[in-house]
Amino acid sequence: MAQELQSINLVAPAFKGINTEDSPLAQDPSFAEIADNAVIDKRGRIAARKGHTVITTNNTVLGTDSLRAIKDYRDNAGNTKLFSVGNNKIISGTTTLVDETPASYTINANDWKIVNFNDHLFFFQRGFEPLVYSQHTGAVEKMSVHAHSSGVASTMYGHEVLAAYGRLWTADFSTDKSTIYWSDLLDGVAWSGGSSGNIDISKVWPDGYDEIVSLAAHNDLLIIFGKHSIVVYAGATSPASMTLSDTIAGIGCVNRDTVQYTGTDVLFLAHTGLKSFGRTIQEKSMPISSLSGNITKDLIAALQNETEFFRSVYSPEEGFYLLTFTGQDMTYCFDVRGTLENGSYRVTRWPSTGFTSFTTLTDGTLYIGTSNGISTHTGYTDNNVSYRFKYYSPSLTFGDSSRIKILKKLKPTLVGANNATVFMKWSYDFDTTYATAEFTVGTQITGFYGESEYTTVEFTGGQLTNQRSLNTTGYGTSVQVGLESEINGSSLSLQEINVMALIGKLL
Amino acid sequence: MIMNIPGYTGTSGGLSSGGLNLPGYTGQSGGLSGGGLNIPTMGNANISPQLAAATPGSSGGFGQFLTGAGNVLGDIFGGVQQIGSAISPAIPAIAGSLLTKEAYDRLSNVGDTAYQRSMDLAERGQQESQFRPFTVTTPTGSAFTARMGGQPQPPMMTGGPVAPPFTPVLRSGVMPGTVMDAGGAFGSGQGRPPAMPVTGGPAQLPPQFTPVLNQVPMTGTVMDGGGAFGSGQGRPAGMPRFAGSPDSQPAADAIARQYQQPTPQPQGGLEIGMSLSPEEQSMYEGLFGGAGRFFGQAQQPTAGREQEIFNRMRAAQMPEEQRQRLALEERLAAQGRLGTSSAAFGGATPEMLAMATAQEEGRNRAMLGAMQQAQAEQMQQASLGQQFLGSSYLPQQQLLAALQPGLTQQQMAQQAQQFGTGLFGETALSGIEAQLLAEQARANLLGGVGSNILAGMFTPQTNKVTGATTPAAGIGDLGGLFGGVSEGLGTIIRGIGGIFD
Repeated sequence: MAQELQSINLVAPAFKGINTEDSPLAQDPSFAEIADNAVIDKRGRIAARKGHTVITTNNTVLGTDSLRAIKDYRDNAGNTKLFSVGNNKIISGTTTLVDETPASYTINANDWKIVNFNDHLFFFQRGFEPLVYSQHTGAVEKMSVHAHSSGVASTMYGHEVLAAYGRLWTADFSTDKSTIYWSDLLDGVAWSGGSSGNIDISKVWPDGYDEIVSLAAHNDLLIIFGKHSIVVYAGATSPASMTLSDTIAGIGCVNRDTVQYTGTDVLFLAHTGLKSFGRTIQEKSMPISSLSGNITKDLIAALQNETEFFRSVYSPEEGFYLLTFTGQDMTYCFDVRGTLENGSYRVTRWPSTGFTSFTTLTDGTLYIGTSNGISTHTGYTDNNVSYRFKYYSPSLTFGDSSRIKILKKLKPTLVGANNATVFMKWSYDFDTTYATAEFTVGTQITGFYGESEYTTVEFTGGQLTNQRSLNTTGYGTSVQVGLESEINGSSLSLQEINVMALIGKLL
Repeated sequence: MIMNIPGYTGTSGGLSSGGLNLPGYTGQSGGLSGGGLNIPTMGNANISPQLAAATPGSSGGFGQFLTGAGNVLGDIFGGVQQIGSAISPAIPAIAGSLLTKEAYDRLSNVGDTAYQRSMDLAERGQQESQFRPFTVTTPTGSAFTARMGGQPQPPMMTGGPVAPPFTPVLRSGVMPGTVMDAGGAFGSGQGRPPAMPVTGGPAQLPPQFTPVLNQVPMTGTVMDGGGAFGSGQGRPAGMPRFAGSPDSQPAADAIARQYQQPTPQPQGGLEIGMSLSPEEQSMYEGLFGGAGRFFGQAQQPTAGREQEIFNRMRAAQMPEEQRQRLALEERLAAQGRLGTSSAAFGGATPEMLAMATAQEEGRNRAMLGAMQQAQAEQMQQASLGQQFLGSSYLPQQQLLAALQPGLTQQQMAQQAQQFGTGLFGETALSGIEAQLLAEQARANLLGGVGSNILAGMFTPQTNKVTGATTPAAGIGDLGGLFGGVSEGLGTIIRGIGGIFD
């Protein structure tokens, strides 16, 4: 006797991002087992990420290396200049990269941290004399030769630098992991005299010993990240009088370049995943929420396997926090617009992007450094190369894991994906061999009458929605559904997937 | 009747009751009485009247001897008779001459005697008006003595113990009353030799003080050398009060010389001595030595004392500083700021700088306080030295204060002495004058008698009844006198020569 098809509607699939922590059978269908090259778009749908467009036309100075850090210089007069580092050089420019390395200054590492402070741009890297660029000098120079510099010594060649509270702060030295130096007020080259000073927190670490990794400034607090602990000082506007406000043991920061400010929080990568300080008004303790609770194991594995740099960026315009493991060429995208019930951000993965550095400009532009030079986070190709968008749902039991499910149809609803070829995939019972149904999305011209003259924005109502119905085969107690598509110039959003299945007998 | 032939210069002895002293006889005692004869050619022998009146015996050799002696004596007395026979007509002339000569001699002796007596009186007045040593002794045993140099010490009234000399205390010959070191007066600011102990004090008394202060203090009131000045007679003690007629004045002068002779003449200036009782001396020495020590300490460099005071003040401050330092350390540790170093706060935290500043201010205050304290102590030492020095002279001052009434008494005694001396001199001078007048009158009287006798011998006498006129003996009588006398003397000498034949 024929049975009625049972419809299981996966509305806004994966809009909660990846969840590799919970059991697939018990997961909410809103999670995704895989969400590569995807973001959560403005409507809460999983969508293909943006690509990047290389704006550099001459990257000769970079050679075969990649840009390891990017920072734009900006002074009060409005002068700007983009600096980057790579290939053991200090580089400036966007279209044509120019070597700005000071004469007789040898660089053999590219792990610089660059900060803007009071019309100066400062370059800090452990074991190297800090470099300074300012508009009035017009060139990058060693800090010790900069005008009015003082107290520049190898003891303060820090790896971490922070511009906050009117001073430069530096820490993480070659032989001193517990001292923080601060410069004179509003003078980043004066490290002696004035109100400059230092503090040794070796006696302050809550677990007895730690090493400073990073510094952060937030809400009149100086947050000192150790590898396994965090020390917070209050009243950092007057560093000589700042007092210990809180200490947190067991949580530290993996790398200085994972610390990003979101305006209300400070995000940083700990050994147990992405963490943040949540602001509190009533409580004096510092609540720490886990922002990567859905991919903790994956993140820890990536941490352990990383051999190069960590790079991160926060883009309020895009609403994400990108964390890149450059050695593994893996970027995790955390949607910071909201958290899930468990306090985690929705997260997707961007594998094999080639991103090695980021920076955001004041106008919201996200610059990405690659081996090609400087790119902008725009378009839906990676420098005119397509990338594959992937979505895989967790294993679905449709509420009864004891009965056989026989898939009959898959009806995805896509938004965008002009002329894209879409591969719908399914498998049963955790099998990694997927059955595939392919279809090509037609031209998604939004102009009336199909005339190009009407394809301009002013005449369009937005992206078009495409629904397809694909017949499927096979059966099993659990079903996993996926969608892949090459993103090559057009966006793609997955609105929903309607799964039509017959519920079979009990096994 | 006594007859001394002119030329006789003896002062005693001689003939009495009609004896005759021949010129050249200078014997001092013995002599003839009852008509004896003193003959200078016989070695001032005196022939007694008994010998002259002796009569020879009637039997034996002795009778012969007596007969011989009688012959001799007969010759002698025959000679004497011849002399007497020769003299008797010239006796008036001789007597007048002798009386006249006696008057002349007495007038000559009046001036000499007046001069001698005046000089004696002046000498006595000088002696009696000279300064009389005296001693003022206070009830506490200190004494003030004043005398002229060479005068004997005033007699000791009570046997108080002798004040110890200053030598052991004052070793360096510095006068008491001036704090000195070996190199000079402390007040001169010259400093003292580094090796000299500061507390040494004055080392030696001035020489002129030593004999005085070593004197035995005397007790009593204002005294002169022989007793209380209150007697005011200016007479040496034990000397019998002068009384008698002017004739007895030489004897009185002799007695006065006898009593005044032991009194030495002043050999030097006025010597003033003060002595203290043993208790006062001990107190004086203690106070004086203490003053020296205080002054010595006042002259010590204050740096060492400042350091000592500073160390003690710091020792008192350090525990609290340590507590505050520990409290700050704990507070900084609780605030996680132990390792804070700010160039704006001297390489530390504001609290550490504030504490260090406070502690440094405390140290500075302690240092200044130590300096002030050391200087105050120096001033105190100087003040104490001054007080001790002043107090050390207090017995002396009190002695001098007690001297005032004694000095008044002495002045009164001196005035009485001088008054008595003046009165004595005036009285004695009056007696001398009266004596001189009497002597002059006696001489004039003798001269008048002699003149009258001589005038009678050369003037013819007319009996107003009978009208008979006796011619003046004249010079012829004198020739008969000298011839008879010479013949009589020859007979005597032959008689005497017969004695030895």
